[in-house]
Amino acid sequence: MRGFLFAAAGPLLVVALWEAIVRALVVPVYVLPAPSAIVLKVWTDLPALLGGLSTTLMEASIGYAIGAAGALILAMLFVLYPRLERVALPALVALNSVPVVAFAPVALLWFGSGPASKIAMVTIAVGFAVFVNAHQGLCSVDESAANLLRSFGAGPLRLMVLLRLPAALPSIMNGLRVAVVRSMIIAIVAEMLGAVSGLGWTIFESTQQMDFLRAWAAIAVASAASMAWYGLVNWIDHRFVFWR
Amino acid sequence: MRAGFASQIAALLGLFVLWEVCVRVFDVAPHNMPAASAVLRDMAANTDLIGRGIVRTLSETLIGFAIGAAIGFVFGSAFAVSRALERLLFPLFIVSQAIPVIAFGALVVMWLGNDIWSKVAIAAYLTAFPVTVNTCRGMQAVDPQRVALLRSFGAGAWVLYWRLRVPYALPSIAAALKLGISLGLIGAIVGEWFGDTVGLGIMLLQAMYNENLPRVWSVILVCGAIGILLYSAFEAIERRWIWWKQEI
Repeated sequence: MRGFLFAAAGPLLVVALWEAIVRALVVPVYVLPAPSAIVLKVWTDLPALLGGLSTTLMEASIGYAIGAAGALILAMLFVLYPRLERVALPALVALNSVPVVAFAPVALLWFGSGPASKIAMVTIAVGFAVFVNAHQGLCSVDESAANLLRSFGAGPLRLMVLLRLPAALPSIMNGLRVAVVRSMIIAIVAEMLGAVSGLGWTIFESTQQMDFLRAWAAIAVASAASMAWYGLVNWIDHRFVFWR
Repeated sequence: MRAGFASQIAALLGLFVLWEVCVRVFDVAPHNMPAASAVLRDMAANTDLIGRGIVRTLSETLIGFAIGAAIGFVFGSAFAVSRALERLLFPLFIVSQAIPVIAFGALVVMWLGNDIWSKVAIAAYLTAFPVTVNTCRGMQAVDPQRVALLRSFGAGAWVLYWRLRVPYALPSIAAALKLGISLGLIGAIVGEWFGDTVGLGIMLLQAMYNENLPRVWSVILVCGAIGILLYSAFEAIERRWIWWKQEI
């Protein structure tokens, strides 16, 4: 409990300072609203904000699931079929070098302004993050352990399931954790380029309409959701990966 | 993922050829996917515009990265040296990462103007966190026996810092710097979406609005090339100057 209080002290201090400065200097709302004003706005606009949040979360989670699953399967295929890896890996590395956000216009042109383009963006962003970690984890297996299993007649598939996957799990969880934060951010960024609903679109629309308080309220909701989701993945990591 | 320089170039060229062949064979409509030749032609015809965009985006990235890395190094060192400071301010850094700074873009532009500095701020913001974490963790991972050894030789806090903690932390700092430069590039590109006249991000956006697909893809290729260049540069520096990565 004490640790938690100590950890919360920093952010709380900043929020208190923020409120004090805004009131003392009478900062106009469109430059920097007070935390109290933001909280009030979140409360009054809650239905609309929650609606936007559900869209963004839906896009982020679907993209996350597809991206993570696809990346894991691809990483496993690469390990099982080295020929495939030799051919496809350079292509993947090249694609990975492009900042993911640069693909957003392509996603929008191909998949339109609906959720599909956002899901596509999140999928590639998450896919890359998870793939890099999964591939590294699957490849860095103790050779002597692998040889032992082979001496018992284990084929590559058995090797994969019994040895590589469990050994790679910490790396994979690492990748999954990093991907969580990225998925929310990418969904929001993609929505800013063109969407029909979602928190990113709310933020974009609010700034267009010069309603900055609403933009801040949407940002606050997005941040809270990101932290909650990150906490969830962290909990899963602690609970199920006990052999780190 | 080192696959040998020559084979990487070969693979990339192969990709281009495959791209061109697929577009022609499957008769893909140009508004879905332009041919590689069309993209390259667009790039060649607009070297001036692209060149200016590169200069702008690259300077935003590098300046923002430098500022963010400096902030990260200072704070990371402070956190490593003072546990109280770490427990007080570190959660702040974590919370700041949950806030989609990119969503802030419009606000940052309002605060810092529609010019290079708002993009620099976003790039710096994105770089600061990984560098802080890795600096702090790297310095904290120093073997206490070595600390005791140096102290027994009469080493003061300053010597302890520069001769022990910094070299120990450099491998993980290097890892964070590589991540940071990629994040800085992303920050610069997205920052430009909020309003500017020159830069790769703006070119991307305008190409999208005009449905100018060859332009979109040529900018994507340029961004990829810059990404590879920056990352490789840092890898080379790391290999040359921080060669003790495996020995610790």
